[in-house]
Amino acid sequence: MFRDFYHAFYYSLLIAATVLCILFFKNAQRPFRLLAVLVVLTLLSELTAKYVAYILHNNNMVYHFFTPVEFLFYVLIYQQFFSSKKWNYILWLCFAILVFSEIFNTIFFQPLNVDNTNILILESIFLVAFSLSLFIKISESEYHQHLLKEGIFWFNSAVLFYYAFNILIWGFHSIQVYNLKNPPMFIYNFILVFSGLLYAIYAFATGLNSIAVKKRRLNHE
Amino acid sequence: MNNLLQINSTDVTVFVFAGIIVLALLFGFIMYFLFSYRHKQKDFQLLHDQKQQIDVQKIELEKTLRELKSTQAQLIQQEKMANLGELTAGVAHEIQNPLNFVNNFSEVSNELIEELKTERQKTESERSAGTENDIINDIEQNLQKINYHGKRAESIVKGMLQHSRANAGVKEPTDINKLADEYLRLSFHGLRAKDKSFNADFKTDFDESIGKINVIPQDIGRVLLNLFNNAFYTVNEKRKSASDSYLPTVLVQTKKLNSAIEIIVRDNGDGIPKKIIEKIFQPFFTTKPTGQGTGLGLSLSYDIIKAHSGEIKVESKEGEGTTFIIQLPIL
Repeated sequence: MFRDFYHAFYYSLLIAATVLCILFFKNAQRPFRLLAVLVVLTLLSELTAKYVAYILHNNNMVYHFFTPVEFLFYVLIYQQFFSSKKWNYILWLCFAILVFSEIFNTIFFQPLNVDNTNILILESIFLVAFSLSLFIKISESEYHQHLLKEGIFWFNSAVLFYYAFNILIWGFHSIQVYNLKNPPMFIYNFILVFSGLLYAIYAFATGLNSIAVKKRRLNHE
Repeated sequence: MNNLLQINSTDVTVFVFAGIIVLALLFGFIMYFLFSYRHKQKDFQLLHDQKQQIDVQKIELEKTLRELKSTQAQLIQQEKMANLGELTAGVAHEIQNPLNFVNNFSEVSNELIEELKTERQKTESERSAGTENDIINDIEQNLQKINYHGKRAESIVKGMLQHSRANAGVKEPTDINKLADEYLRLSFHGLRAKDKSFNADFKTDFDESIGKINVIPQDIGRVLLNLFNNAFYTVNEKRKSASDSYLPTVLVQTKKLNSAIEIIVRDNGDGIPKKIIEKIFQPFFTTKPTGQGTGLGLSLSYDIIKAHSGEIKVESKEGEGTTFIIQLPIL
């Protein structure tokens, strides 16, 4: 499992994030509970991918299935944050586009044994757009608490950073492959480091939310 | 993948450079967002604090308003009771008259009954049916007079009770001339009973065609009493310093206009100085010495007339006198 530092870093952070998310799940609010489930599902998908790789020597198909599932969770989470009819419509439309694109992409461009980078880029574009929109919504709302103490800020910042870099990384990857060049190893290491940090921040955001909810509950009592 | 060419260093440089730019842009965005949010947060906090302050002030103002209303109600009641105090002597005088009649007629009736008994003790030949009938008729008339004056005393007491009642009255068809006359007399006798040196003349000129109009009698009575008391007070004050030729007089007049009636109260007192005439309807404004006036009489009168959709005006000439004109709509 831990064949080098980057893998060890990624899996350690993912396992730690999963454990923390499970611990914080009880007190967290609904969007952060969904986030916690997403982290747990990510670990399960990674374990499944490892198993499939062991059996079939190619685990790309796992990501073909997991990407729409992951995006579904993001849609559900952003639906909670936006809580408006207009955004419900936009989010579900994006989800439908992504699922359709995944099928189309799998049939015509990137079959199950190839990385679904096209869909990863599409997912990243959607998520960056959601993240920026949520920042706009936050800036227009009347929050009184310090933003750095809010789980929503850390979650959304992590999405923005990670998926913006995802576009760059997978874009670069696609250009290299399109030009029949071998993508350098370091971009996979980048992905591992960023992914590990992403899930760690998700756990941190869930923890912040859980603590805030607990504090509010204690104050009410 | 194995057939793919190896990546060259330029591509890596471009990638790293692009990565740095993206990273810088994202950090820049986040920092800008945090900065602008903090700025907004401060504004929101300020607004929030101000709103809280306004809310607190609003609660305090509401409390003050409630207290003010309560105090106002108490003051109105006190003013009513003060009026009642002023009325007491007048009422006593007014009640004394019917009581005198009741006493006198009942005494006479007793004597007549004694006479009747004596008449009935006489022998048949001495008795006169005519005399007995005359006595019985006299007793009957006396009893009617006793009843009439008893009812008059009762109506005065009822009026007094109505005057002191705290709750709002109801509008009813009222004979304004009668009401004005009653309160004029009560005011006059009240002042006279309080101050033996008080002397003034009053005249009435009632327009009999005005009939009954819909008003709250105890409220209009209170207004009239205020105006009469003020008029008598001012003429009496002028009398103290004026020559012997001065005749303190209060005139009460009623008139029917097209869609209203007018009640005019005119005195030939000192008049109201121009500089204070604008203030006389303000609450707590009084020219009377401390302890003699609450300063609420005209203010309450103004409110009462406004509540009747009417108008109260004042015309005054210094040294010549004052005229108060009340106009009440005929509804």
